[in-house]
Amino acid sequence: MAVSLASVRSGALIVLLLGIPLMLLRNTAQDPHRMSGFDRAVRRIGGPLEAAVSYSAGMLGAVFERWVLQARVQDANEDLSSENRELKRQLRDLVTLREENHQLRRALQMRDRVAEDMIPAERVGVDQSPVFRVINIRIDRGNRYAAPGMAVLAPDGVVGRVDKAFDDYSDVLLITDPRSKIAVEVARSRAQGILIGEDEDLCIVDVSKDYEVDEGDLVQTSGVDELFPKGHPVGKVLRVEQLVGDQQRLYVLPAVRFDRVDVVWVVLAPAPRPDPAAGTEPGDVKARGLQPIN
Amino acid sequence: MVLRGFCYVVFGWVLIAIVGGLAEVFGLTVMLPATSAVIVTHVAFSETRSVPYGLAIAIALGYLEDLHQGAPVGTLTLAYALTFLTLHWASGRVAVRSFVTRAAAAAVAIVLVDAFTFTILLSLAEPLAVGRAAVIAAIGGVHWHIIATVLVAPPVWGGFDRAFVALRLEDGPPKKVHWSGGR
Repeated sequence: MAVSLASVRSGALIVLLLGIPLMLLRNTAQDPHRMSGFDRAVRRIGGPLEAAVSYSAGMLGAVFERWVLQARVQDANEDLSSENRELKRQLRDLVTLREENHQLRRALQMRDRVAEDMIPAERVGVDQSPVFRVINIRIDRGNRYAAPGMAVLAPDGVVGRVDKAFDDYSDVLLITDPRSKIAVEVARSRAQGILIGEDEDLCIVDVSKDYEVDEGDLVQTSGVDELFPKGHPVGKVLRVEQLVGDQQRLYVLPAVRFDRVDVVWVVLAPAPRPDPAAGTEPGDVKARGLQPIN
Repeated sequence: MVLRGFCYVVFGWVLIAIVGGLAEVFGLTVMLPATSAVIVTHVAFSETRSVPYGLAIAIALGYLEDLHQGAPVGTLTLAYALTFLTLHWASGRVAVRSFVTRAAAAAVAIVLVDAFTFTILLSLAEPLAVGRAAVIAAIGGVHWHIIATVLVAPPVWGGFDRAFVALRLEDGPPKKVHWSGGR
């Protein structure tokens, strides 16, 4: 079997080349932590190359990460917007509830203030003028409770009287209605008169010039008509007009905003007359139990 | 042929750096491909039949892998040299034409590299100051190494083919590769 020179040379080269890793291994085995000058040179050349690749890959990774992050931020933004809408809706409900609670508290406080027998009623409808002024309100108490002529009060003041009572609801004649007449007095001077409806948001009352009345004076019910409890606010004097003769005309702005009334009270019966014996000491009543035998 | 060998080493070095850089950026430690094993396979199955030429390239790439992976210098150098000789012996008996066979050849190459590496490290654990337990534990992650190498084998192989055509360094007639292995 003939062996060519090229084969011999190739075999020698292979052996020589295989000697390189063996030599490297031998050197490493002698001192595992030692790096040769050639190793360091190769590392020095390859270091910047690897650093450049790492930097480029890092930049690409950062762009990718930012893209992913932006998508996540967008998702989070949509979630937060949805949550915000829900919270705003809940907030609106809470504001409505708070206002309702406030009105109910005021209504309850009025119930404690007024001695008359009253029943609460809720406003279920309004009649408005073309300029959005309330000219009539409807309450949810029918003729089982309310009867025409009964006084209707709100925590802020007098609303009016029951005009018509139906099965399930009643119409209220407001104090601003020209058909309305209420016995009132000026709180400061006790000048008495009959309050008559004048306009959609105005009433008038004529009182004697003997009494001093100023703008801003409080007008309240006098109680002489035995329909309205005495001392309940009706409104404020807006203007005083001197009439010919001994009368002066007061223009009164109602204390109640009829477009904001939700709960009212219907006066069912006048307050019981005060007990004349109230506040006096009871008489000395002797015990009938163990007594000395006379 | 020398320029072609130089390209193998330079491109191999760049690929080693790219793998290291990407691994650092994405925090990968296990599933890293051995691009040098793919290159050694490419060299072994190319038309060039000179064994010393291919062996020199394998030794150079192994040496660079040693330095970049922090292995005891000479370990991967010897492993790649022995792998090349084995693959060169197989190249006379097996044809690698399709993407699938290229990936399979790369898988065989990386299995050989890992086998030689672990054998060297376990045999020379004391002189090389390597813990045997650590080497044995590392064997458990070899399958990730093989999977990653198989995945990168077709693009790396195809990239070298295209680069050599572009640089007019191809060593045979233009090849048309099919999935089925037809030519």
